[in-house]
Amino acid sequence: MSENKSICKDVMAHICDNLGEELNSLKCVSIKAHLENCENCKHYFNSVETTIEFYKKYNVTISKDAHNRLMECLGLKE
Amino acid sequence: MDELKLIEQAQLGDKKALTELVKLYEQTVFNFSFKICRNKEKAEHTMQETFLSMVKNIKQFSGESKLSTWLYRVVSNHCLMLARSAGKYEFASFEDEDAVIDEKSIADWKVAPDKITENNELKDFLDKAIEKLPADYRIVFMLRDVEGLSTEETAKMVDLTIPAVKSRLHRARAFLRDELNERFKYE
Repeated sequence: MSENKSICKDVMAHICDNLGEELNSLKCVSIKAHLENCENCKHYFNSVETTIEFYKKYNVTISKDAHNRLMECLGLKE
Repeated sequence: MDELKLIEQAQLGDKKALTELVKLYEQTVFNFSFKICRNKEKAEHTMQETFLSMVKNIKQFSGESKLSTWLYRVVSNHCLMLARSAGKYEFASFEDEDAVIDEKSIADWKVAPDKITENNELKDFLDKAIEKLPADYRIVFMLRDVEGLSTEETAKMVDLTIPAVKSRLHRARAFLRDELNERFKYE
């Protein structure tokens, strides 16, 4: 039980280190195998991915007024 | 006209080309500035400073990197300067690496990230969570994870080594995930 807990902690750290990187090293392969069988780590992996997705999808659009102020500040006309 | 041609014309003093370049990148720069500053007024100020710098220095632009890369760098430096002057640069608990992985509170989140587009209360929550991150960690997270730059490009842009970028990214991801977990573990 405590041995598995320590593996999980390593896996979680590895997820945070390497999400989005190439995962072909021996260590990565063993981590992928662990992920397939460990619900806890799978949830952790998904929650880190979801966190990133939230910030990717949260975008703002420049207003017409802000655009006009920018052009005025730069001395540019359209 | 393609971007390189616009840059060449702008370097020769063509204001129409300069206007086109500003219009081409204003949305990207405003959005990225907001993602770092988490405040629309500050984001607008940063956007203005960034384009003022572009207009002033366009003749020195060599074209070795993409214009967008150069603009990201100006935004990042400006935001770091603002954060430093506001005294928000240091964040002591980031010294302790173990502190950022909270393995006691793992939960299966049922939430869909698409909800963000129509939920202002959720936006406030995300703003507050990321505002707790020091600006230099926030910039690395935004460049690497949100804007999709490579680790190498991010390192170059913020003048850090690759291991330093990875370390900051690791801590930023784990920290934000823990902050969001406080809300989504119940959904």
